[in-house]
Amino acid sequence: MFLAFKEMARAKVRFALLIAAIALLVFLILFQQSLQNGLITGFIGAIREQNAPVLVYSVDGQRVLQGSVITPDMEADILAAPGTGETGPIGQGTFTGLPSGNADGETFDTTLIGYELGPDGDGIGAPTTVVEGRLPTADDEGVVSDADVALGYDIDDTVTLLPGGKEITIVGVAENAQLNVSPTLFVSYDTYLSAVKSVNPDAGTPLPNVLGVIPADGFTPDEAVASINEQSLELDALTKQDAATETPGVAQVQQSFNIIFLLYGLVVPCVTGLFFLIVTFQKANSLTLLRAIGAPAGRLVSSLLIQVVVIIGVGLLIGTLLYYPVSQQALGGIALQFETAAVIFWSVLLLSLGVLSSLVAARRVLKIDPIEATTGQGVGS
Amino acid sequence: MTTAPAAVSTALQLNDVRKVYTMGDGSQVVALDHATLTLGSDEMVALVGPSGSGKTTLCSIAGGILSATEGTIVVGGEDISNHNAKELTKFRQDRVGFVFQSVNLVPFLNARENLLVVDELGKRTGAPARARADQLLEELGLADRAKNLPSQLSGGQRQRVAIGRALMNDPALVLFDEPTSALDTKLGEQVMELIQGEMKSRGIAAIVVTHDERITHYCDRSVHIVDGRLEA
Amino acid sequence: MKLALKELRRRPGRFATATVILTLIAILLMFLGGLLDGLIASSTGAIRAQNADAIVYSDTAQASFVRSRIDPELRAQVEAVEGVTEVGGIGNVQLGARVPGNGPRDLASVALFGYELAPDGVPDAPPYGQAWADDSIKADGVEEGMIIEVGPARTPIAIIGFVADTNFNGQSSLWASPDTWRDTLSANRPDAQLGPDVFQALIVRGDGANLPDAIDAATGGATDSYSVDGAVAAIPGVTEQQGTFNQIIGVTVAIALVVIGLFFALLTVERTSLYGVLKALGAKSSTIFAGLVAQAVVVTAIAAFVAGTLVILLDLLLPPGSIPLLITPSRIILSVVLLLVAAVLGCSFSLRRVLRIDPASAIGTTS
Repeated sequence: MFLAFKEMARAKVRFALLIAAIALLVFLILFQQSLQNGLITGFIGAIREQNAPVLVYSVDGQRVLQGSVITPDMEADILAAPGTGETGPIGQGTFTGLPSGNADGETFDTTLIGYELGPDGDGIGAPTTVVEGRLPTADDEGVVSDADVALGYDIDDTVTLLPGGKEITIVGVAENAQLNVSPTLFVSYDTYLSAVKSVNPDAGTPLPNVLGVIPADGFTPDEAVASINEQSLELDALTKQDAATETPGVAQVQQSFNIIFLLYGLVVPCVTGLFFLIVTFQKANSLTLLRAIGAPAGRLVSSLLIQVVVIIGVGLLIGTLLYYPVSQQALGGIALQFETAAVIFWSVLLLSLGVLSSLVAARRVLKIDPIEATTGQGVGS
Repeated sequence: MTTAPAAVSTALQLNDVRKVYTMGDGSQVVALDHATLTLGSDEMVALVGPSGSGKTTLCSIAGGILSATEGTIVVGGEDISNHNAKELTKFRQDRVGFVFQSVNLVPFLNARENLLVVDELGKRTGAPARARADQLLEELGLADRAKNLPSQLSGGQRQRVAIGRALMNDPALVLFDEPTSALDTKLGEQVMELIQGEMKSRGIAAIVVTHDERITHYCDRSVHIVDGRLEA
Repeated sequence: MKLALKELRRRPGRFATATVILTLIAILLMFLGGLLDGLIASSTGAIRAQNADAIVYSDTAQASFVRSRIDPELRAQVEAVEGVTEVGGIGNVQLGARVPGNGPRDLASVALFGYELAPDGVPDAPPYGQAWADDSIKADGVEEGMIIEVGPARTPIAIIGFVADTNFNGQSSLWASPDTWRDTLSANRPDAQLGPDVFQALIVRGDGANLPDAIDAATGGATDSYSVDGAVAAIPGVTEQQGTFNQIIGVTVAIALVVIGLFFALLTVERTSLYGVLKALGAKSSTIFAGLVAQAVVVTAIAAFVAGTLVILLDLLLPPGSIPLLITPSRIILSVVLLLVAAVLGCSFSLRRVLRIDPASAIGTTS
């Protein structure tokens, strides 16, 4: 322990550079973890957090809410499926919104998701993660996603849709309930219909985009999905989770990030392993000397491992500290979060990989023959 | 083969050279005290003294590796007493040869390339340097080892490569630092015979730093040094 | 410097691991850059291709086609602005297309544009019911002459040829006459249908210093006009993506710098005695440092070359549509340049040590 720390104190620049490299890598990995999660949640959080276990799109919609249209014929087919219990229409549109809570009078792309409220606002399609305020119980009331509050969409603020000037009052805030990385409001179905009309008077009455379905008694969501899809090739039924993950773009985001994480993750043990291997070679003579005067081999190896753990540990700490303030930001509409699970996962992974990579150096240490102290050969030659 | 400039009759002239180190706590250590020494242009001198006597310091100053605190140093007619670092560097490229105790060949260069290093770092004459290297290797009996790396040469062969390197720039003075300390008696004698032969046949001055009295007879005279002071 | 390069050649092993690490980092840089370029290209192709001095949306549209409407009166106002020489309407609708030979649930994503003024690389608008298609749609099995059925109303569109780099929002673009577009829109998106002669946006060509501003001023703010670059930047996500990715790329370059600095600092420590000998023999500090930098540059160049090859290979092997990767020579060159700069700067960590090496250390290890 003593040796381990003394050596690090004597070669501050080298060890500092190594810690810096690891800290930066850890920071980037954690930041991108937040980015990935924030991006995906921003894309399809609303779909994941609404309460209908099954969503039925039209095949033409290609699993995108705004592209899907449920005609009356399709609706009949869905109702006829044995797996269908209750259904409720869900409509989605993107509008230009002016939130009253925004001091600069800025306008934003605002998504409205309309659903049949039912008696207490908890109808099919309602958000399940309301943390402040309440669900809408009347027309022209809306629940917004938490990421949007900072932009001026807070409880008691009104959102004015342009053109047309229709106003919606915010009555509640739900967590992780964004769609398409834009401010999202859950409103009554009638509010949605009147919004469409107010903005484009030429429009007819829009049909619902998707139907939210509660499976009939005795049917799991997967079974309900299968039974509905059997009814017609025009229908594309999905469980809530599948609807979220199979939204176009989500899989791409995940695949891209996976490649990125793999590469960054490989760099850390490579840099650590290389560093300790070189350092071991460089102090060959002193290591041989220590062995000659009676230090057990195991002691030298544990000294090395202590250094590895300390270096990576400090790198993880600094990287996480750098990450923390960044994780509290909103990045262009994406709300980032401090992903504790990711921090733990990567800490364990990088520590393990780092220790593994230093075993190469440890092997070298164990191979030292104390007799070489007298002949002057040493590890390096 | 070129000869040393005929007009210069002394290879080295040290006059009243002092080297003082100031330690961290303000105290002073005198490594070399009023050293005066003259070497003829083809004289071989053994510098004998125990460890810590200052012989390395004197050698370093004579070779332009270290600056003196006081005194004058003239090597091969060039006064290096007040040379700055850049001038000393050039001086070492052109006028001095070193054979270090731990040989210190460049481990990833073969014998020939180790000789050419000096030219590489300095004048870059190209073909003439290569010709000279080949000739030196021949004269040192290493012609068939030219392409070997140091790890493939015996201790004595490495020593000879080092000597060849020291001779490459046709120096006024060659400094040998403990050339036999790592060798057994027989090999040590062989090396000293080689050194003596090469220095004398070329008429080059040399200082051989050693604490080994067995080899001083290879030199023209011995100079003893104790605690930084030269004795006659 | 020759010495340093000789060492590289004679002792490649000691540089091998550092080269591997740098290759990983170089792959990261090129991959991140390619991802950014791919995302941007597939969202913005249709706009970038426009040969326009101004693109005009209605004022509350937030630069979004879907929410923009330009009726004939507003268009007349724009046409009357001084400096305007040509005005063409444009609009689009995003739908799923059924391609012959594909499964019933396997639709191609398309953005159908109706246009009057042709963008660069796109011929003039074809007859009714026909369209030019972006060649990215070939990945969905579309061939020249094929008739695809667009949207829930299965509107037939015949593909008469292909164009390049005109995608919009990540979807393959189709370029058709305004009538084809308008009819397709009302058949498939009745809630978004537009009256005759109403377009979503205008493509404007003309002279004059700042045409977009001039147009907005002339219409009294009823329009929201952009230059082509401005319209590209206004596409949601573009500036955020660029900002975020460039930050990540920047930090990665910093990591490369630190790694190189680290590796060469270690190497310098190991070669202290060798450098001492060289200095004793007359080597200048600048020569030694230049050799160090030369090694760093060569190692980095090799890493960049290997990475470039691997990334290009990855790009070829990726099934189209899986990851939006676009590998361009300029991106690879930029990554290489950044890495080389990092290499040279990283060596600076070793400069002080090289300067401090004392040639006297070469003499006398014992006395």
